[in-house]
Amino acid sequence: MELRGDVLVFLEAAEGGGVLPRSLEAVTAGQRLAAALGGRPVGLVVGDRVGDVAGEAAHYGLEEVLLVDHPALARYLPEVHLAAFLAACERLKPAVILMADTFTSLDLAPRLAFALDTGLVADCVGVEIEGGEPLFVKPVFSSNVMAAYGFHTSPGIVTLRARVEEPAARRDAEEAPVNRVEVDLGTVSSPAEILEDVVVEEEGPRLADAAIVVSGGRGMGGPEGFERLAAVAEVLGAALGASRPPCDLGWAPPRAQVGQTGEKVAPSLYIAVGISGATQHLAGMQGSNKIVAVNKDPKANIFRVADYGVVGTWEEVLPAFHEEIIERLKGGGVP
Amino acid sequence: MKIIVCVKQVPDPEGPQDRFEIDAEALWVEPRGIPPVLSLFDENALEAALRIKDAAGGEVEITVLSAGRRLSNAVLQKAMAVGADELVKVEDEAFDSASLDSHAAASVLAGAIRKIGDYDLVFAGRQAADWNAGQVGIGIAALLGIPVVTLVRKVEVEGRRAIVERVTERGYQVVSVPVPAVIVASNEVGEMRYPTMIQRREARKKPVSAWGAREIGMEAGPPRNRVVLRRLFPPATRKGACELIEGETPAEAGRNLARRLEEDGLL
Repeated sequence: MELRGDVLVFLEAAEGGGVLPRSLEAVTAGQRLAAALGGRPVGLVVGDRVGDVAGEAAHYGLEEVLLVDHPALARYLPEVHLAAFLAACERLKPAVILMADTFTSLDLAPRLAFALDTGLVADCVGVEIEGGEPLFVKPVFSSNVMAAYGFHTSPGIVTLRARVEEPAARRDAEEAPVNRVEVDLGTVSSPAEILEDVVVEEEGPRLADAAIVVSGGRGMGGPEGFERLAAVAEVLGAALGASRPPCDLGWAPPRAQVGQTGEKVAPSLYIAVGISGATQHLAGMQGSNKIVAVNKDPKANIFRVADYGVVGTWEEVLPAFHEEIIERLKGGGVP
Repeated sequence: MKIIVCVKQVPDPEGPQDRFEIDAEALWVEPRGIPPVLSLFDENALEAALRIKDAAGGEVEITVLSAGRRLSNAVLQKAMAVGADELVKVEDEAFDSASLDSHAAASVLAGAIRKIGDYDLVFAGRQAADWNAGQVGIGIAALLGIPVVTLVRKVEVEGRRAIVERVTERGYQVVSVPVPAVIVASNEVGEMRYPTMIQRREARKKPVSAWGAREIGMEAGPPRNRVVLRRLFPPATRKGACELIEGETPAEAGRNLARRLEEDGLL
């Protein structure tokens, strides 16, 4: 089917105010897509007292920002957020809905697809226009194959992986109109009741945001290896990651998992220690700017994607590396 | 308590990349010599269901449900061996994974679940290791008109409600949801247990229902797809120009690595 018309971009609020940088990446894709589809890029901000987020969103080259502001949207409740989205879609009738890949869109995008009886391409890593038709590329078969999808139905819904696009630049002098979408959300009930919302304090930066990621694999041999790795990460201001086996074995927390079935990261530096380089892991870190591999097996697959390599076990290589970075970054002192 | 766990067979995602042969004309991926396995998140889903059974003693029955084209019995036997009670297979030549998008797959599974009829919880994995769509659990819930909780790492049952821990960006939520409901499991559940040899042998005696498209009311074929696959191609491989950092000893190489990364402005 031929998709023509506006592109609705979901703009999530950042924790410290303003728009989530990942959503601004979706804006970049939305602008290009809207131009190809003969429509306008339109933002959507959803939440409780988020007028200032919408006001900020108006400066990123969107032609309009829709705002659903309601106390019922104070935290993520799937059915309530879905109702807000359906109201915005009813108003705009977009050809495409774009969202960043986030915890929210992981849950919301499929709900929206089934509620609108339309298709969804999740984890998209490329937006292409081919003969006038927008195609959305995503990895399949644990990143061994790439697939380009179009849509049979409208609107097409797409979630975009982080760092596929550059975030849209702020245009101080331009300001898109912000238009409220009124919807009675007070009557929407959610069958699931949230009993508790637990914030687990994490030390250091999160995987998704970190400029440097230090990851360990099966070659770490146990939790002790990960203690050393965490110490190295702390000196570098890096996030701690892991391949799947250490998470399954309990050496590293499940949320540290990088790969097809975990977090996808693209830091400026990725240090892989004791990781053999299974496709499933590479799928989550191949987009990194520079990759360092430390592995005792010189034939390990990880060296095929690495920029720098050291052959050795973590016990041999890591303590000396640790001491050296402490000296270089903190100007003296040994652990 | 009756639990249905939806599982999918996929080519082993750890198989070598060059064995995933792409037929760009037919839009087909042939996993040449790569054995089928249970999709990873579906193993997590089954494990979460088994823990409910462990906690409740004998009053929980688990039905494993799998739909597809020419299913491998060996793969499904593994799901039975770890502790499921009954297997329902739905097979049709039209049910190959490349032909069904998430809507069509969810329709097939929802059709089978309706035919099973008696259930309290339906488990699914968050995405399959083949087409990676990540929607089928939510789709089943939408089609059955029951609640769904996603990104689940733990489930307990209290009366007619499931108490569920759901992974969030900053931690987790504890959510109470009435049954029947769909639970979409994530890797945080943990690895599926291994079956013993005795369990493997016993698994062959468990009841199996083999249905076709007709039994679930889809003799006219699955519903139309919402997305259309246009192209398949190999991923761009990262350039393999690895520079080996050396030293007298591996420790010295470690020091040299730190120096080099600093010189290159990467720290």
